[in-house]
Amino acid sequence: MFTKNKKMDRILTLYLPLFMMLSFTLFPIYWTINTALKPEGDIVKRPLQYLPANPTVENFVYSWTNIGFATFFKNSLIVGISTVIVVLICSTLSGYALARYQFKGKRSFLLMLLCTQFIPRSMMIIPLFIIFKNLGLISSPLALIITYTAIEIPFTTILMSGFISNVPKELEEAAMIDGCTKLQSLRHVVFPLLLPGIVATGVFTFIYTWNEFLIALMLTNQQSKFTLPVGLSSMLGEFNVNYGALAAGSVIALIPAVILFAYAQKHLVNGMGGAVKG
Amino acid sequence: MFKRKWSTSALAMTMAASLALVGCGGSEETSSNTKEKAAPKSDEPVTITFWDENAGPERTPLWEEVIKQFEEKNPNIDVEYVGIPNKSAKSKYDAAIAADDLPDVGSVQTTWLPEFSIREALLPLDEYFEKSDINGKINPSAIEFNKKITQDNKLYGIPYAQNLDTIWIRTDWFEEAGVEEPDTFDEFFTAIEKMTDKANNRYGYTIRGGAGGSFQLQRLMFAYSGLDYFNEDGKPNINAPEHVEFVEKYLSYYEDYTPKSDITNGYKEMIAGFDTGVVAMVHHNVGSYGEHKKSLPEGSFKTIPLPKTADGKYVAEGGNAVNVAVFKSAENPDAAWKFVEFINSAEAQSTWNESTGQIPTNSDVLSDEWVQNAQHIKVAFEVYENPETKLYEPPFYLPDYRSILDSIVDPGIQSVMSGKMTTQEFLDEWAKAIEDSKAKYDETFKK
Repeated sequence: MFTKNKKMDRILTLYLPLFMMLSFTLFPIYWTINTALKPEGDIVKRPLQYLPANPTVENFVYSWTNIGFATFFKNSLIVGISTVIVVLICSTLSGYALARYQFKGKRSFLLMLLCTQFIPRSMMIIPLFIIFKNLGLISSPLALIITYTAIEIPFTTILMSGFISNVPKELEEAAMIDGCTKLQSLRHVVFPLLLPGIVATGVFTFIYTWNEFLIALMLTNQQSKFTLPVGLSSMLGEFNVNYGALAAGSVIALIPAVILFAYAQKHLVNGMGGAVKG
Repeated sequence: MFKRKWSTSALAMTMAASLALVGCGGSEETSSNTKEKAAPKSDEPVTITFWDENAGPERTPLWEEVIKQFEEKNPNIDVEYVGIPNKSAKSKYDAAIAADDLPDVGSVQTTWLPEFSIREALLPLDEYFEKSDINGKINPSAIEFNKKITQDNKLYGIPYAQNLDTIWIRTDWFEEAGVEEPDTFDEFFTAIEKMTDKANNRYGYTIRGGAGGSFQLQRLMFAYSGLDYFNEDGKPNINAPEHVEFVEKYLSYYEDYTPKSDITNGYKEMIAGFDTGVVAMVHHNVGSYGEHKKSLPEGSFKTIPLPKTADGKYVAEGGNAVNVAVFKSAENPDAAWKFVEFINSAEAQSTWNESTGQIPTNSDVLSDEWVQNAQHIKVAFEVYENPETKLYEPPFYLPDYRSILDSIVDPGIQSVMSGKMTTQEFLDEWAKAIEDSKAKYDETFKK
């Protein structure tokens, strides 16, 4: 009797709320996939079809080949991966300096890093445009990589310095007593312990670049250099919305993010925990 | 010791490599820019860029088709298409004007012409147009309108497609209920009442209460009153008694005869209401034909003009057109003009407008078979060609005209619908905003 009650309690207090929350979050995604699999005529038809009556992959084929999603996808990947690499190198190094060394102006440096996060993105558009125009980088993926890196570094540096201060200094000292140089102790001792933090930072950065729309639109003047969000948004014409292709495009755009999260989930949770403890 | 050296140099290599990468990309891009900047001779290959301000899955392939035809006729000119999402198009142009990095040719809405010309971004096209074959064929009232709204009365954009606000109705429902298509505003209101059947989740009409509702309301108000935008004293007619009377009645239909969700209706929601069989009438323009055709069976819907004024006249808002403009920074304006001319040729306008469901401006297209067979295009012509039709002119030239509509009128409509504001207060606020803006403008330009 007691166990039965306990089971009931568990269902009511844990599983039911979890189920409700999950269906709330997952419904839009389910609906996107559902729409992507319907032929165009069925999408706005009443009564609504909760499962596609005539499932088709034509929307996927259409957005991948006709609208140029293959190109947008490639551009997004180039920008995303390059940004992640540069951001990780810079923020690990500067995060280490912030975590391990005491120097004059450290506090004001940290404050300045924080301040950069307060500037609204849309205010930076015109100055950025002029700078990149003079550099001859408009429509080049480099313009996006540089901008995203600059935007992400302050935040990721703070994040990384949190992770690094979580790694006991004594471990490094021990390694150095055993004959490691500073860099060796970094590589063999700190790095492996830091992996969850690096993965978390990398994932944050990647997701940001993957979803960023405004800067990507403004700094790109060539159709063939558009990234996914810009490509997706150009599916919403004033008079015509191709819901099927739009949904298929969204699903395509979703895939890398989902794979990344699935892979990084464990690290991500560890990493977050670390940051909070720090 | 060796190990230490190795890791240090590895680090140095990475940094050097990334620096070199940045350098390479830069120089490559610069060299291609200088290549473009070399002044081309008449038959030397030139590239012009074209920005489409309303890219979409239907329009983008169409433009590519038009560009292909153009390039076949002009083998030395290469047109590079850039499709910009409609919502962000204005800000993209704004940034490009500020940074002086513009395309050669762009599709621009009429409302942007005054602002862009004041900012000296556009090339006056009067001379080109006068000498061109298309002179005399493009709707003269649209050309005149484009000249009238700019500060120096020059022609900065050639209209290649027009639009007209109309009401889309479900003919099958009207027949079933035995209700006549409304011709006057009284009939329009009666039809809304008669077509509403809440028990079956059917409503007579849908109000655009969300984004863009201001356009709809403004056009209906003036269609009802037949007034000019400004009265003889130069004050806006927005809060004239006729308008107060109309808006009061119109918005009072919310919830009683229109869906509850109307308060947040944007374009997509409103059209979806019509296309999924929830509402019997929707006020939009001929441009949404393609959407209705996709969802509703042939013959179950058609478009009718906005109801007539009390004295039996049609009223339409002037400047409801999209234009092609050449930007001042164009390195080869002659090639750019050739493209503009081609877009406005009967051939290109016919292809383009037939597929987008808009109204051609080139009179040669009017005799095309598809125009004769398209009910919605014919309705638009009927209105535009009727000598009695009144075109009123909103003050597009006011730099904050659009932001007044977006930030005062759109939320104002919602406040009236939800009962937080009276119609009089709302229209007074709108009129004052326009009046203040105009005073500022007149003072600056000493008109």
